Amino acid sequence: MAQGMPGSSPRWAGPAPGADLTLSFWRREPGRAQWLAIAAASLAAAGAIWWSATRPDGLISPLFLPPPVEVWEAFVRLLSRPYLGSTLGQHIVASLRIVIGGWLLAGLVGLPLGIAMGWWKRVRWISFPIFQILRPVPPLAWIPLAILWLGIGDSARIFVVFIAAVVPWVMNSMQAVDSIDGILVRAALTLGASDRQILSRVVCRTALPTLVAGARIALGNAWTTLVAAELLAATAGLGYIALNASRTLEMGILLVAMAIIGVLGALFSIGMHLVTRWVAPWARSGVAT
Amino acid sequence: MGQKRGRDVSGRSAVRSAREPVAWGAAAVGLLLLLWWLATAIPDLVPPRVLPSPIDVVLRFVALIAEPFSGATLLGHAVVSLERWGIGVLAAIALGLPLGIALAWLPPLRAVVTPGFELLRYIPPFAWVPIAVLWFGATTTTQAAIVFIAAFPACIINTQLAVAQVDPILARAARTLGAGSARTLAKVVLPVAAPTIFTGLRIAFSNGWMALVGAELVVGKQGLGFLISQGQINDSASTILVGMTTIGVLGTLIDAVLQRAQRLALPWRPAAARRFE
Repeated sequence: MAQGMPGSSPRWAGPAPGADLTLSFWRREPGRAQWLAIAAASLAAAGAIWWSATRPDGLISPLFLPPPVEVWEAFVRLLSRPYLGSTLGQHIVASLRIVIGGWLLAGLVGLPLGIAMGWWKRVRWISFPIFQILRPVPPLAWIPLAILWLGIGDSARIFVVFIAAVVPWVMNSMQAVDSIDGILVRAALTLGASDRQILSRVVCRTALPTLVAGARIALGNAWTTLVAAELLAATAGLGYIALNASRTLEMGILLVAMAIIGVLGALFSIGMHLVTRWVAPWARSGVAT
Repeated sequence: MGQKRGRDVSGRSAVRSAREPVAWGAAAVGLLLLLWWLATAIPDLVPPRVLPSPIDVVLRFVALIAEPFSGATLLGHAVVSLERWGIGVLAAIALGLPLGIALAWLPPLRAVVTPGFELLRYIPPFAWVPIAVLWFGATTTTQAAIVFIAAFPACIINTQLAVAQVDPILARAARTLGAGSARTLAKVVLPVAAPTIFTGLRIAFSNGWMALVGAELVVGKQGLGFLISQGQINDSASTILVGMTTIGVLGTLIDAVLQRAQRLALPWRPAAARRFE
């Protein structure tokens, strides 16, 4: 493994511990400090290119990509003044409400259904084919039907988010329960546990990391789908801001909306990772991405 | 068909346990269809505006194949969608495959690309629709760009994972035998990684297909997504259902064809694939 010669360059400046030193620089895993330096330089270069290309006499027209300053000003403006009838905070809350609502509703249905599908074969035989038929239809394709059924109010968007989130909830819960080591169940049986005790104390607990992973994927799907739904049927929300800004050619606001969407998506992902570590600290990170 | 389920310890015969699930599933789907038909057949229970009867949907399907709706027949819309999808996905492969291989093979390059990639990764493909419309107008390029944005990350990440997963001992063995870096990559690492890469690409393809529908709902004058949005505007639930079914069936067909292609072209077993979805 570690082939680093003792007394060679200090650890933090050189390649990663364990890197194969017989390889050339380009094939070697960079050390932490090296990695950070390269990453920072790369980000700085990207920023510099953006800044210089969008100067008044630059290569790129501000209608195509606005200068960084303009994006920052748009952000400050959004914070201080309402845009399209709501403040930025209200738009964010509008988006979050739908996403969390649809996601929770999907969990309420999908989690028990998935566990039941994993535990009782008959439930799986009955419901799995129906899922297999519905699964290839992208959640977004439900948007027109949702608008037709429910109008362009909140309920249409909650419905679409629900559709997007329910599949990962169900599939991961089913797989989690299905893939449990039979020996655990048999051990519990031997020790006299009842069917219900096994399900609640052995199966659900062992399956917890996969269940949370399913919740994380569901939340990601829900967020992605909500943005699309807000492009089509909304009166508030970040996707709604983005589409309107694009129609009125306010590039700064459009980029701010995209950035907030991205940051919230990242926060969801990080938050769910933290939840995994909190409810199932024994699970190795990186299971079932 | 002949898959053995090792977990079935109840002593049933293999034949019975293979047929029973199918029977239950068919019964459930049949019951659902029957309920759908009943709900629409009983007058005044569910208005046809909300849910048309299955027969209406089939008739609408035939009508859409025969005569144009919103500028094209069903087939025409499907061809337009497939074309946009093809362009976007090919672009994603053309860029993502070499880049993914390079990222796995040259770790310092990974340090260069990762920060920017991580910044952009969390922006969902559809959030790019408004800006793509500004950049490219309401053209095929916009649609293809959204497909590209949806497919590209999966292309890169899966390719990179597939190459990085290859047992380093193989590369070292090749090196010991005198192969250079490029030759090791081309002759040893890539063939081993190929099936896993292909599995990852299939995910990219289906991501692209899903995103295309969303893009077509917002912009464009033809395509399956446009068809269902027109169905909504014309208050025709049967058109929407035909469109949704076509989108689902085409998505399934694409994946089936790719799976078959993988088995023909890369018949050796993939290393345990870690999927990125």
